[in-house]
Amino acid sequence: MAKRKESDVLITGKELFFKDEKKEKLAADLIIANKELEFQNEEKEKRAAELVIADEELLFQNEEKEKRAAELVIANEELLFQNEEKEKRAAELVIADEELLFQNEEKEKRAAELVIANKELLFQNEEKEKRAAELVIANEELLFQNEEKEKRAAELVIANEELLFQNEEKEKRAAELVIANEELLFQNEEKEKRAAELVIANEELLFQNEEKEKRAAELVIANEELLFQNEEKEKRAAELVIANKELKQAEDDIRKLNEELENKVIERTAQLESVNKELGSFSYSVSHDLRAPIRAINGYTRILVEDYADKLDADGIKVLQSIMHNSKKMGNLIDDLLAFSKLGRKQVTVSIINMAALVQLVTEELLFDDGENIPEFEVELLPPAKGDQSLIKQVWINLISNAIKYSKYKPTTDISIGAYEKGNLVVYYVKDKGAGFDMQYYDKLFGVFQRLHSQEEFEGTGIGLAIVQKIVHRHNGAVWAESTLNEGTTFYFSLPNIKT
Amino acid sequence: MNYDDVEILLAEDSIDDATLTIRGLTKSGFTNKLHHVKDGVEALDFLYCKGIYASRNILQYPKLILLDLKMPKVSGIQVLEKIKTDPDLKSIPVVILTSSKEDPDIKKCYALQANSYIVKPVDSDKFFLAIKEIGMYWMILSEPPH
Repeated sequence: MAKRKESDVLITGKELFFKDEKKEKLAADLIIANKELEFQNEEKEKRAAELVIADEELLFQNEEKEKRAAELVIANEELLFQNEEKEKRAAELVIADEELLFQNEEKEKRAAELVIANKELLFQNEEKEKRAAELVIANEELLFQNEEKEKRAAELVIANEELLFQNEEKEKRAAELVIANEELLFQNEEKEKRAAELVIANEELLFQNEEKEKRAAELVIANEELLFQNEEKEKRAAELVIANKELKQAEDDIRKLNEELENKVIERTAQLESVNKELGSFSYSVSHDLRAPIRAINGYTRILVEDYADKLDADGIKVLQSIMHNSKKMGNLIDDLLAFSKLGRKQVTVSIINMAALVQLVTEELLFDDGENIPEFEVELLPPAKGDQSLIKQVWINLISNAIKYSKYKPTTDISIGAYEKGNLVVYYVKDKGAGFDMQYYDKLFGVFQRLHSQEEFEGTGIGLAIVQKIVHRHNGAVWAESTLNEGTTFYFSLPNIKT
Repeated sequence: MNYDDVEILLAEDSIDDATLTIRGLTKSGFTNKLHHVKDGVEALDFLYCKGIYASRNILQYPKLILLDLKMPKVSGIQVLEKIKTDPDLKSIPVVILTSSKEDPDIKKCYALQANSYIVKPVDSDKFFLAIKEIGMYWMILSEPPH
């Protein structure tokens, strides 16, 4: 080293210089080395940190291992306990095995005993089979014998039946022979009887022949008589034929006359029907066309009286009142005439009329003016009759109203109503004590519009009694009256009683 | 002319009967408007709003029809039949006012559902009384259908 240092001094400057450069290089290297170290230190620190983490990991793993170890200890203890249990069971199994072994030995002993018993049984069975075989043979033998016996028995039955049948046949033949014998005997007897009868019959015939000859002689005489009678009859017949022809002629004449009559009746009926129709349309015209103008006259006159009275004097008003009165009267006449003509066309419907009830109804329905006398009725027992109730009611209304009307000047109105039977008729009557009439005018009493009193004395149209007569005639009855002037009148009408 | 307020329709060919009928109603105090037609054709024209009645309101039915039977052209019976077979008109009361007492007419009218059949009396006293009573009954006492 010393030698080196001397040479070093010789070359000091250069050396130094070089040394400086080296030193700088070294410094640079050192810096690099330091940086390297620094990097390595950082790496080491990283590793140290990683180690720390690794240590913690290890520590955690160790703790886990310890936990497992503790669990293994527990598991080992468990295993130990189980092993002990297994040993206990094994010991028990050993005891059980020994028991089984003993039982098996016992069973084997029993099996041996059973084998012996089986052998014994087998022997007994063989013996029994032998006996059975012997019995089968014996049975077959018996069976064969029985069948043989049955065959014999069946043969015997057939043989018996055959014998029985042959016996019956023999008996039948015997019976038939008996009957045949009896028959023969009877026929012989009959033949003898017939022979005897023939003898008698021959004698009878002989007698009859003689009688017939006698009758024949008589018939010849009778025939001659008949012949004569027939000739007489033929003569009479010829006379009758002539008489019949005459009768027939008379009948034909009568028939012709009847036919002519019938034709005439048909003709007349047709004429009557057409007249009736004409009357019908006539009364319709009367009812409609005549009433209308009269109504107008009456109505307008009333308007004059009511509205223009102040323009007329008393005489004028009186004239108007006369017009009104007369037109009203004409209206009533038309209505009455119509009612009368209707009667002829009205259908009569006949029934049994309770007359007492009908008369009572009529008297109850009467209307009275002020100051008029109320009539006193004296009604007797009224028997029923046959008729048209509504028409007969009209008869009673007309007769009773007449009785009241013609009694109006008397102090009282007394009316008696009664009835009596006469043959097949019932006669009813209405008797008043009124004005009466002179019987010399009787023939006008029932005429249409005929009046026996003045209008001033007793008002009316003169149709009431005509209606009464028409109704009663349509019932095939009669109506009549008896009257004494100022003393009263009695009207009678008859109807068929209920016995007809 | 306005016909919508007509309450009574009078069908009558006789001017005289119409005059008396109208007087009877007015005298009795009825103020209801009455219209007078002179035959069946005019009556049907009125009811069905034809001819001169074209502007009439068909739904304004009269409260009462007074119908004469014997009229020219179309008869009262024909008018009655037309009214009573028409579902809109048949409930209107129809009173037959006629001169005819003949039975077949009465039966025919009632068969055709006439509400009443009055024979006009000849006596004006009775005639006016009848008209008054018809008015009293149908216009006051009886309830109208419409």
